[in-house]
Amino acid sequence: MEKQPLMKATDIHKWYGKIHAVNGVSFTINRGEILGLIGDNGAGKSSLLKVLSGYHYQDKGEIFMEGEKVKITSPADARALGIETVYQERALVDSMSLARNFYMGREPVGHTGFLDKRKMAECIDVLKKIGLPINSPDYLVSNLSGGQRQGVAIGRAMYFKAKLVLLDEPVTALSVKEAHRILDLVLEFKEANISVIFITHNLQQVYDIADRFLVLDNGKKVKDIEKDATSMEELTRAVMGEINA
Amino acid sequence: MNEQNSQKIVNIKNKNIFNNIFNRIGAVREIIIFGLAIALFIIFFFTTKGIMFSPEALRIIFVAVSELGLVAIGITMLIISGEFDLSVGSISAMGALLAAKLYQLGLNPFLALVIALIVGIVFGGFNGFITVKFNVPSFIVTLATMIGYRGLIYVITEGVPIGFRVVDTHPAFHKFIAGELGVIPVPLIWLVIATIILMLILNFRRFGNHVYAVGGNQETARAMGINTDKTKIICFMALGMLSALVGVMRVTRVRSFHSLQGEGIALMAIAAAVIGGTLLKGGVGTVLGAVLGTLVIVLLEYGLIMSGVGAYMYNLVLGAVIIVVVILNNVIEQRRK
Repeated sequence: MEKQPLMKATDIHKWYGKIHAVNGVSFTINRGEILGLIGDNGAGKSSLLKVLSGYHYQDKGEIFMEGEKVKITSPADARALGIETVYQERALVDSMSLARNFYMGREPVGHTGFLDKRKMAECIDVLKKIGLPINSPDYLVSNLSGGQRQGVAIGRAMYFKAKLVLLDEPVTALSVKEAHRILDLVLEFKEANISVIFITHNLQQVYDIADRFLVLDNGKKVKDIEKDATSMEELTRAVMGEINA
Repeated sequence: MNEQNSQKIVNIKNKNIFNNIFNRIGAVREIIIFGLAIALFIIFFFTTKGIMFSPEALRIIFVAVSELGLVAIGITMLIISGEFDLSVGSISAMGALLAAKLYQLGLNPFLALVIALIVGIVFGGFNGFITVKFNVPSFIVTLATMIGYRGLIYVITEGVPIGFRVVDTHPAFHKFIAGELGVIPVPLIWLVIATIILMLILNFRRFGNHVYAVGGNQETARAMGINTDKTKIICFMALGMLSALVGVMRVTRVRSFHSLQGEGIALMAIAAAVIGGTLLKGGVGTVLGAVLGTLVIVLLEYGLIMSGVGAYMYNLVLGAVIIVVVILNNVIEQRRK
């Protein structure tokens, strides 16, 4: 299949006060591609993620979605463009029900503006499809395990037809079993021609499923390479800052 | 196979309905607080030798419930959104003062009420604006505005009371806001209407979902594209409006404005919210709980006074009740998890 670029970012910069968190990073991600965004703690992965997800606006640089220049100034902008973010920590609100979390910010309403509770119950079916059987849309999410929570967030991205899914350390806090299930779901995105940026500091987590790797160090891109053209060793050395681009 | 499946679905559906009812109407907290209110009614029936159930006593009690309750439901929504407002007493007094002053200047009291409500919205909105835009804890912001707004009242009145005898000149207005419909005090009708509106908003509108989300986890809410600042400011504004309404209600009832009006109402309203199961950390609470919490507080106050125990005892008992209920709420919260 020919590669179709979905998102292109050019020369992205982000400063936090005097800290140059993202320093001139450019990259492209194609449709249906799994891009492993790796780097040590503080390498700039999270800052780049925050720019792409609309949490922070870049200080410099441009982003193009499907060839068109876009401004992602808020998480709402990102979601409107089909960019869905699955955060490690803040994926769900503990004190709220499953349905209220699933549709948060995009609640379906009827003609009179009241919540369409019947439609909101559909989230149960979506989650069942991805192997997460939960009985009631009123189930309190604080009762879910870490993996189930990630599952809900991923199911949400699928349901709302994301084009690009940003996964922030999606398996770091999970048990081995749960991590495998989440990785299977990531591959399902690929099958559906949805692009994924998989952010992690642990190369092993993403090596098997990624098509391509983007390695950051000190806010700079030090490697942007297809899996076929590299090896675990080379990438590990890049993450550890032993290779300069 | 199919039959089995559909059977399963039916079971789940039934469970959902049960869960829904349990969540909305029969939430454990509300049942407990409602039980407490009933128990107080029964106890005070005996200790007051039935005086508590005279129409006159009930009218006084339910007017007090209405005035405190209207503030309590507003403050509950704000606390659910993760913020706090100590200045509601001052806003309430500001609304009352405006109504009295404008009426004194010859304005129609209905128009004066509208202006008072708008000013309540503006003052509440100011609290919210400072809180979210400058990232100052609302506790501090509203502590300052509680003092500041009250100061403004003293600057305007110089401490001199202002008469508000609309009952003679505009009996329709008096009836509309502080009168009676048959045996039912009109303020109670206002409370019921406002409670239903807020319940509908919190449970069945998008905005309600945003309020719970913002208070439950602000970062998550933001990441999900919710405008957290706007959500909170609207909650502040709604509370400001309800506070001003209560202020006008009270000045209409007592027929004169005093600069001390409404002092202490913020803490009582917060107490009502807490007794009703609202968690001060945000994200959890119901307006129905707040109304029941208000009922408990008012019953305690009037019950103890009518029993001849005295007002000092009331504070002691109320303090104890708050602590017991909060501990109970924590236990329920742990069980829920």
